[in-house]
Parts: sequence; structure tokens; C-alpha cells
Amino acid sequence: MARMKFLCDAERCIECNGCVTACKNENEVPWGVNRRRVVTINDGVIGAEKSISVACMHCSDAPCMAVCPVDCFYRTSDGVVLHDKDLCIGCGYCFYACPFGAPQFPQAGAFGLRGKMDKCTFCAGGPEADKSDAEFKKYGRNRLAEGKLPACAEMCSTKALLGGDGDVIADIYRERVVRRGNKGAEAWGWGSAYGQPPKGGVAPAAPAGGKS
Amino acid sequence: MIRRLLVAAAVLTLAACMEVEQASTPERQAGQTVRRDTAAWNNEPLANGPKWSKGDRTSWEEQIKKRQLAQHEDRRIYQ
Amino acid sequence: MLLTRKTNGSAVQQSRLAQGLNGVLAKTIDRRSFLKRSGLTAGAGVAAVTFGSQLPFSMIGEAKAKDDSSGKIEVKRTVCTHCSVGCAIDAHVQDGVWIRQEPVFDSPINLGAHCAKGAAIREHGISHDSHRLKYPMKLEGGKWKKISWDTAYDEISKKMLEIRKQSGPDSLFIVGSSKHNNEQAELLCKWARLWGTNNTDHQARICHSTTVAGLGQTWGYGAMTNSYNDEQNSKSLMFLGSNAAEAHPVSMLHTLHAKENGAKVIVVDPRYTRTAAKADIYVRHRSGTDVAFLFGVLYHIFKNGWEDKQYIHDRVYGMDKVKEEVMAKWTPEKCTEVTGVSEADVYLVAKTMAENRPGFIIWAMGQTQHTNANAVVRATNIVQLALGNVGRSGGGCNVYRGHDNVQGATDLGPNPDTLPGYYPVAVPGSWVHWAKVWNIDLDWLKKQYASEALMARPGMTVSRWIDGVTEKTENIDQDPNLRMIFFWGHAPNSQSRGSEMLEAMKKLDLMVVIDPYPSASAAMFAMVRKDGAYLLPAATQLECDGSVTASNRSVQWREKVIEPMFESRTDHAIMYQLAGKLGFADQFIGKKDGKQNLRIVKSKSGDEPILEDVTRNETNKGTWTIGYTGQSPERMQAHMRNMHLFDVKSLRCKGGKDALTGYDMTGDYFGMPWPCYGSPTIKHPGTPNLYDTHLHPMDGGHTFRALFGVEKDGINLLAEDGIANKGSDITTGYPQFDHVLLKKLGWWDELTEDEKKAAEGKTWANDLSGGIQRVAMKHGCSPFGNAKARAVVWNWPDAIPQHREPLFSPRADLVEKYPTHDDVKNLWRLPTLFKSVQQKAVKDETHKKFPLVLTSGRLVEYEGGGEETRSNPWLAELMQDCFVEINPKTAADRGIRNGEYVWVSTPGINPGGGNPRLKVKAKVTEGVGPDTVFIPFHFSGWWQGQDMLPYYPEGAAPIVRGEAVNTATTYGYDRITMMQETKTTLCQVAKFQA
Ligand code: SF4
Ligand code: SF4
Ligand code: SF4
Repeated sequence: MARMKFLCDAERCIECNGCVTACKNENEVPWGVNRRRVVTINDGVIGAEKSISVACMHCSDAPCMAVCPVDCFYRTSDGVVLHDKDLCIGCGYCFYACPFGAPQFPQAGAFGLRGKMDKCTFCAGGPEADKSDAEFKKYGRNRLAEGKLPACAEMCSTKALLGGDGDVIADIYRERVVRRGNKGAEAWGWGSAYGQPPKGGVAPAAPAGGKS
Repeated sequence: MIRRLLVAAAVLTLAACMEVEQASTPERQAGQTVRRDTAAWNNEPLANGPKWSKGDRTSWEEQIKKRQLAQHEDRRIYQ
Repeated sequence: MLLTRKTNGSAVQQSRLAQGLNGVLAKTIDRRSFLKRSGLTAGAGVAAVTFGSQLPFSMIGEAKAKDDSSGKIEVKRTVCTHCSVGCAIDAHVQDGVWIRQEPVFDSPINLGAHCAKGAAIREHGISHDSHRLKYPMKLEGGKWKKISWDTAYDEISKKMLEIRKQSGPDSLFIVGSSKHNNEQAELLCKWARLWGTNNTDHQARICHSTTVAGLGQTWGYGAMTNSYNDEQNSKSLMFLGSNAAEAHPVSMLHTLHAKENGAKVIVVDPRYTRTAAKADIYVRHRSGTDVAFLFGVLYHIFKNGWEDKQYIHDRVYGMDKVKEEVMAKWTPEKCTEVTGVSEADVYLVAKTMAENRPGFIIWAMGQTQHTNANAVVRATNIVQLALGNVGRSGGGCNVYRGHDNVQGATDLGPNPDTLPGYYPVAVPGSWVHWAKVWNIDLDWLKKQYASEALMARPGMTVSRWIDGVTEKTENIDQDPNLRMIFFWGHAPNSQSRGSEMLEAMKKLDLMVVIDPYPSASAAMFAMVRKDGAYLLPAATQLECDGSVTASNRSVQWREKVIEPMFESRTDHAIMYQLAGKLGFADQFIGKKDGKQNLRIVKSKSGDEPILEDVTRNETNKGTWTIGYTGQSPERMQAHMRNMHLFDVKSLRCKGGKDALTGYDMTGDYFGMPWPCYGSPTIKHPGTPNLYDTHLHPMDGGHTFRALFGVEKDGINLLAEDGIANKGSDITTGYPQFDHVLLKKLGWWDELTEDEKKAAEGKTWANDLSGGIQRVAMKHGCSPFGNAKARAVVWNWPDAIPQHREPLFSPRADLVEKYPTHDDVKNLWRLPTLFKSVQQKAVKDETHKKFPLVLTSGRLVEYEGGGEETRSNPWLAELMQDCFVEINPKTAADRGIRNGEYVWVSTPGINPGGGNPRLKVKAKVTEGVGPDTVFIPFHFSGWWQGQDMLPYYPEGAAPIVRGEAVNTATTYGYDRITMMQETKTTLCQVAKFQA
């Protein structure tokens, strides 16, 4: 069964931010909330600069889900981690738990109160009726319900960002890594998110029996 | 720097280094407070979008995986 | 359950680790997160002002979330308007509202991919909180006032005719646009001529004019030789003067694919750019020393015998002279002395290119925007010729053009020296040709001009319009000074010497800005004037149809996505309506003797000409030189509907018919890259790679163009024996085809009777039947002849490219050895200074007061002058401050810390006194060396520390404003094309003090 994952190929990502604005566009996320960000490490350092696009990775053993005091998270049967904004109390625990800094909070209101948490939905909307106005307003588009994949990955300028079924991603990535002579064999963030040896070139798509 | 991140990542997942069981949750689950959510394949395909037969997970997945190959330029280049 | 279980222990542990990871991420210095983070509060502030603070989700758009299974959603296929890559977009439109944007995976050019700009383009269609100009406005008593279109037309035309009466037609300068589609560009070119002036220009002047001239003089055509796609067939890719990762992001899809297949990527740049981060070899050279670097490379090529001797013998003129000069002048020591690059690095580049053929040299404004750029471009061409890299798949000169249609606007649009298709204004035959195609009376046209002499004299350039206003009248090569300016889709902050532009604006009688975003022109003008300006809201390219030429010469047809928003009107409607007020509406639509070229339709913009008629009846009928004759609207539209049929590596259609029209695309190259010769009926497939003799002309093969005669000083200029297109009936060099040659060859009778009538006395370039081209190609010949490329351009001041120090050089010690040109009394109608500026700078020891090289360039989020993209919140949020990149050492020496404001001052001229200075944030980075700083050029809306917000029309200021680097750039122009110098000048950076 399909298990939705993300992978950003640091050998390819050029920090063009196409993924970031694709997300803004598709989900009409307001100013100040960034479901996806691109981070450049060692900016300007010759030979060491790398860019990576980061959003919620929809982790297997999602730390956000584990720490949420009101249990507002849930996982869809294709492995997408979603949450219910009606339950969210804006406590911010998930933000501290998340290794990727994915949870976002719309501007702090008066008295330091946080708004409801917002994060990448893998373009799968939320608990409201699929493709309804209510779902769009609260969570953005539900592309999976349309048979499409995340806007960010589909529009990535260099096809660095892959989003979709983990097996297919691993296949694509493995081919790429082999072709370029094992460069960038470590798939950034995969170990942390999916508990796999982060080797696109060597590892099987997913550990045996680990997926359903 | 990347290496360091990866090491950190590896340590982080020692506790749970296996892919966890993915339960299908079309309905509210025990111990879960959230409301129901419809599975993607239980939707009607759009008039001008990709097609699958409503309610059939396999056909939805098949088309999703096919569509995913658009993220692999080789498939378009060597089609 | 496992899924929801709170695994307390590990959660705590994880969160601590997670914090560590977050900490690492947060500590990385990167320009976006840091400048932005420092701007986050500012950003919030902006947000508060702009959108209101606690903003609910999805309030930016009006989009309807509801999917629509009933199929009311229309899908319109358009092309991104933000750069020359030409990425296709599927726009989903419901009830006239653009609700979604989907990737076009079928496009052979972008395969669905987009950069930040393309992925955010739907914002153009969102009316809520739009920062566009919404209705015509006029400056009155220092305030912008709303007026009606009729009032605007009445007042503008009255004023224009009044000034024309006093000063003649040359008192007007029209700055056109590389964002117009091909049809509009062609119409604007005509519009200027119908008014009676050659004073018209557009972004190409300050973008690739030196490229066009350099390439054209070398081998015939001033365009990118191959395509982005063809880089996949390449073994080495050298970027010299291009930061493609930011300027042409989706091109990197092809580049990186090539790299992964083993192509070597070399980046030579003063800055370690995002492109450099992906390179196998990065070389840092001193800004403005490209000729020295290239000839340093060539030295090693010759020394090691790596040149392609057979190719040079067969297809190149003058390489021996270049070799002599290079071996004598550009020894490794001299190259290193000038460029700062070690001999080992230069050698490595030479060796890598020699061992990995075919290969490309890729460039953009890093080569072109120099006082010496014509030489830089030619030096590049020469290196490629020496390696035998031109005229084949996988090798050539890939020139990345800037705006989406800058190639097309250069080919067809408002140029001061040429009519559409590069027919020179100086040649009377050009006027005869186009008057006939345009269906206008040539005698009437001559009377529109001040004189026939001025009709034949190239006009001023956009880089110098300010001098056209302020220079002493007796020094300029036309009667009046400029008194009126039209900014028709062009930003003012892209022209250098911005500080002096205000003086010109003070003097103007009339300024008209026609733009979806009134741009900084409005604000600058209002800063120094109380009246005299009009703003007219133009529709964007998403609000009309038309064709657009990508950098690789492929022509794509855009469908109209939405109707023009607010009160805006399409550019061609405005041209036609204003022509009516000025008395040349009939000529504009080619109405004469019972014939009419362009039909008029009623639209939301009022009366407007049909753009397909322009393509069919004018462009296709007249642009024989560069082959815009075969791309009929029908063919283009069929390509757009059937993108999946085109191969990504070759761009060729293997087979398939268009379901709607039955048109068979088999053999066509995508978008029929020009030259696409002959009439559409002969189905020339287009030319994917220029000068590729391995193919038959009817398969897109060609030779080097015979543009410079057949012989020079007894040396044969035509190709040597054995060099000809595949399948050619002539297997040696030959001159251009005309009726005489056709008769001599005995091929004349292959013309039809009608063709004979049209072709009699004509050449391949002005035979309106296309018969000469058809017959020549049938015999496997290129209509434009078969000659050698020129390594020596004897008709230019530097026959062999010379390194010349920039006017403001950090190396005063080298100026004497490598001086610039002598001053020129009259160049493009204006006196132009070279030596006097350079020598004064040396004498004044300017390099001591301003010890740092200032260079400028692109950011991925923004385009050009940037008003349009800085008005798009999805893009604006990503880059909220203008900044200067400065090396840690340089910063430390000055006590400057990352993220702080600094003053950057240059030796430019502030008419009010002193030197211009810019208030920008410091981005401390090793990306630049200690002797260089970098400022992006997309900002405007601050003037030397002051926010210009009060001077913008209400609601039409961009979200993000900042200092325009060009406020402070200095004097300096290319000797041939009047390209401005924006890549190498001097500056000083100091801590900010209010
Ligand atoms: S998957 Fe969708 S919601 Fe998540 S970052 Fe990508 S575009 Fe945004
Ligand atoms: S669109 Fe792709 S290349 Fe661009 S920043 Fe995002 S992941 Fe990187
Ligand atoms: S700006 Fe250029 S690269 Fe980016 S999406 Fe548009 S056409 Fe493509």
C-alpha cells in the first residue's frame, strides 16, 4: 500500500523557492506562515554550500503526535500526518518536538497567545469534508483526493523534491544516485522521519514488513 | 554540516528504527480524538483531473504512482 | 495504539535532539532565513499594514475551494511571463476567475517544473488587495488623481501633438517592453515609426545587445545557438557570467541532468553563486576581466594543440591572427595579473573544456553589461570556435535571455536601429519592404519623420535617454532634445545612473507610463514634479493571447487566461486607440486600397486589433531574414496542445497529428525555433541548433551565414570544400541566395509562376513569396549562404577582442596598459565618454576612496526592475530587504555585522551634490571575495535612505521596497551597442549612520 513520503535531493536543490510559492499558491497560506522553507547550509562557503527544502515529513513515529496534549493529530491510511484545528489549543509543544520545525503558528495575537497550529498537510486537506470550502479555508487543498500529489513536489524546478509513495521515491532516487556515482547517497532527513538507514543507494525502499 | 545533521538524525531514530505499522484510519480510532476523514480514493475524480474508480484504493494508488513518475525527468526524457 | 501512543521517554529525548537539530538549522547563515528573520518583524509589520494582522487562511484569494465535477472549469494553457525559459502553465479558470494553477508535465521545456516566480504566477489574477494600477491616473498638484481613459487619451494626445509641432517627432522617446508578446512588440515597433521616430528601444539594450551584436558579427545571428534542452547532449558546461540557478532556475533541470550523466560543470564568477554551488569547478575572477580570462584559456588550448584544426580551416576566418595575438599577449602571468586567477585554474578550465567536447559556454548579463562587453562576447565565440564547439548538438553559445520575450522583442520589436527581423533603418530597402508588408504608403511614412536622414539614422537607446533630455542640444545628433518619454512596460530602476535620472525627469514635458504596475517611474517622477505624468493600466500577458519566443528561439502561443482586470487594457488596444487620437489608426492596422491587415474586435479593452492577424499577415509575411515566416498561429497552437509528442533531448516530434485540426507535426521541433523559413505550407520544422551542417535544412540544419562578403584581402570568406548541409546540392561555400544566383544555378524554373513574379529582382530576405527560400532549401542549401565564422571582425574598433579596464577600475595600475576607448563624439545620436572618465578616475584616485568593486545581479524571487514581483505577496515575503553581500574580512575591517544597515556609496553623480549612496542591509558572506560586493538589482522604492511610499499612487506601491542599486551605478557604455556598465564599478561600504 502506498505510504506517502518526501525526499529532498540536496545535490539538486538550488534554493529557487518554487516549492515554497507553489505551496502558498495552492493552499493560500497567509503571510508569515511557511509550511515549506528552503534552508541553505554553509551559504557562500566554496564547496560546502547545500540547500534543502524542508516541511513536515509525515514521520512514521511522529513526535508531534506523541506530544500533543489534546491528541489533535491523526494519520491517514496512506501515512499522512494531519491534525484537527478545532481541537488544537495552540500550545506549541509540537513545534518543539518536531525535528524539522514544521509546525507554524499564525502571528502571535495579544498576550502572547498562539493561534491554531498550521503545517504542511501533504496537500491532503484535513478532517473537514474533502474538497469542501471549510476544508480549504482551514487546511488548504486536498490534492490527494483529486488524485494528485503535493504541489510543491510537482512543481520543483529541478525535480529535487520528490513527494509521493515512498517506494517510488526510493526507486527514483536510487536510479539517480547510481547514475551520479553514489553522490548524495544519504537522503537528508529520511532516517529521522521514517526510521530507515538514510541511504538512497543501498537501502531497500522500506524495511521488510514495515509498510502496510 | 550535513553529515552532522545526519548523525543527529541517526541517533534520533535509534529508538524506532523500523517503519511503524500504518493503520488504516478512515474512521475515528480508539484513543484518537479527531473526527473522521475520508480516504482519498473515496472521492469522485475531477472532471479535468486524473481518473480512478471511486472507492477502489488500488486504482487510486496505481494512478498516483504513475503520476509520481512526472517527478522523475527520465520518464519524460526517455519516454 | 502505536500511532497515537505518547511515548513519553523518547518524546522528551526526541524533543531535546530535535531542538539541537533546529538549533543547527537556525544557526546556518543563509541569506534568506537571516535577512528575512531580521525582517520577520518588519514582515509582520508589512503584513499588518497590507493585509490586516490576524489573517484567516485563504483570504488572499477569491478562489473557490469547491471542486467542480460538473466541468465548468476551463483549462487555459499559457506560458510563464517571468523569464526566457518559457515554462508552460495550465491555468484553471472558473467563471472568469483564475482559481488554480497546475504543472504541465508534458512540456518538453520545463516538464512541469517552476521556480518561485512561475509557481506564484496565479497571484496576478487575484483582485483582492492587488497592488496593480487599477485605472488611469494623472499627476496634478503633486497628487496622483484618477481620470478616465478618454480624458487620458485626450490630454496625452493633445500634449504630444503640441510638442511635435514645436520640436518635431524626435522629441519623443518610447521605451518598449520585452514583456510584450511578439505581436505587440512588432506593433509597437511600427507605432514608433508611424509617429515618425527611431527613438525607441526596450530591455534588450541593457540585457543582451552586446551578445546580439557580437554573435551576429561572428556568424550571422544574434541568438542562443542551441536550447536549454540540448545541454543534455553536452559534455561540458561553462557558466561565465550567468547565475542560472537564480535567473533561469528551470534551465538547471537540464543542466543538472547533464551533470548527472557526466557533463562537467564549470562556473567562473566573482561570486560563489547558487549555480557555482552545483559546479565541478569554480573559479573566481575579478569582475570585468572576462576577455583576459578567456584568452588565458585560449592560450592553453593553442599551446597544447587542443584546437580543432580541421574545423578552423573549414569554417573559421582569422583564427591565425587571434592565435598570434593570444600567444603574445595572454601568457599565464599576464592573465593572472589581470584576472587574479591562478595559472593552474585557467589551465584546468582549458583542459576540462578541451577534453569534454562538445561543450557550451553559457552566459547572461555577467558578460554583457560591461563597457567592454562586445569584446567579451566575441572572445567567448572565439574560444568556442577554436574548440570546434559551434554548429552541433551539445555545443555552442547558450545565451540565457532575461525577460520572457526579450528574444522575440529583439527580433521583432521596438529597436532604434532595425525594423522587425533586423532589417536596418539605414538601408532604404528595409523601408520599402516593411511599408509593403504593413500596407502603408511609404511617402506618407517619410513625411511623418523629421527628415529622410533621420529616418535612416538609428535612434537613441534606453540606456541613454536621460542624456537625450539633459545633454546640450548642439551636442546631440538630432534637432530637439527629448521632451516626452513613454515607459511602455519598462522599469526605470534597471537603467544605470539613476541619481541623474531625476534631473531628466525634472526637465520632461510629458511622461506616460503604461504598465500593469506603474513602477518606480511614477514615484521617482512625483518626487521631483507636481505635474506632467500620466499612468495607464496595461493588461498583463495573462490577460491576452499572443506568441512568445523563449531563449532557445522556440515560439509558444499563449491562450488568454482571464479578462483584463480592473480598468486595464491590453497594450495593443492602447496602441490602436492612441494611434486614433494621433491620426495614424488606419496605417496602424494596414488599411489601404481596400485591404486591411488587422481586423478590429470589440473587447473589454475597447476596440483592439486581433493578434493572430498580426502573426499571419505581418510577421509571417515579412520576417524572412530570421525565419519568423513559418510559425503560423495554427502550427503554434497545435504544438501547445500536443506538447507530449515532442522529445525532450532533441525537441523533435517523432510523429503525431493534432486532434483538433489534423495538422501533422511529424518532424517539427517544439515551437519551431527560428529560423523557420518559407511559408507555413512548406512545413519547415524550425532550427533547434544553429549552424549545424550535420542536418538537411529541411531538418533544421544550417551553415554559417554569408553576411560579410565572399572574400577579404584575398582570403576566402566562404566555407571550404566539403562543408555544407547534409544533402546539399552545393558542397562548398556559397553566397546568399537571390534571383540571380537562382537563375545561374538553373533552379529558377522550380519556382511557380506566382513565386517568379514575386521573386524577380529579390533576395531570399525580401522575396515575399518565400519561393527563393523554398527552392534553396529543397536543394539542401541555406538561403543565407554558406560562409565562415569570423574570429576577426574587421569593421569594429577592436577587430580582435581586447581586454580594456572598466572606466572605474580598482586596478588603476593596469589602466595604462589596458586603457578603454577614446571618447566618441556621436554614438547613437549622443556624445559618449570613455577615456576622459577613466583617466579622471585614475587622476582623482577614485579607487582609493572607493576601494571595492560593486557588482549587481539577480535574485530568484524577483524579475527585472521588480515592481511586479515585489507586489506579489507570495514572492515578497521571501525577500523583504535589499542587501549587500560583503566578505567577512571586509565587513570586519569596517566594524559591520551581519544584518545591520550600511551605506554603500559610489563615485556616481548626485546632481544635488556629493555621491549617491544606498541604505541596505549587510549580508556577510564568503560568497564574495574581500575586494568585491554585490547588490541585487530588483529593488526600488527607496531613495538614498528614504522610503518613497508617499510618492506612489495609492494602493499601487509594491509590498517590498528597497534601494535600487542603479541609483548609484556609474557612467560607462559599450563602444558598439551602448550597453550600460552595471557589473563593474567602484564603491565604499560604511556603517550606517542616520
Ligand atoms: S505538500 Fe502541500 S501543504 Fe505540504 S509543503 Fe507541499 S504544497 Fe505545502
Ligand atoms: S523547488 Fe526544488 S530546487 Fe527549488 S528550492 Fe524547492 S526543492 Fe529546491
Ligand atoms: S521564471 Fe523562468 S524558470 Fe521560473 S517558472 Fe517562469 S519561465 Fe520557468
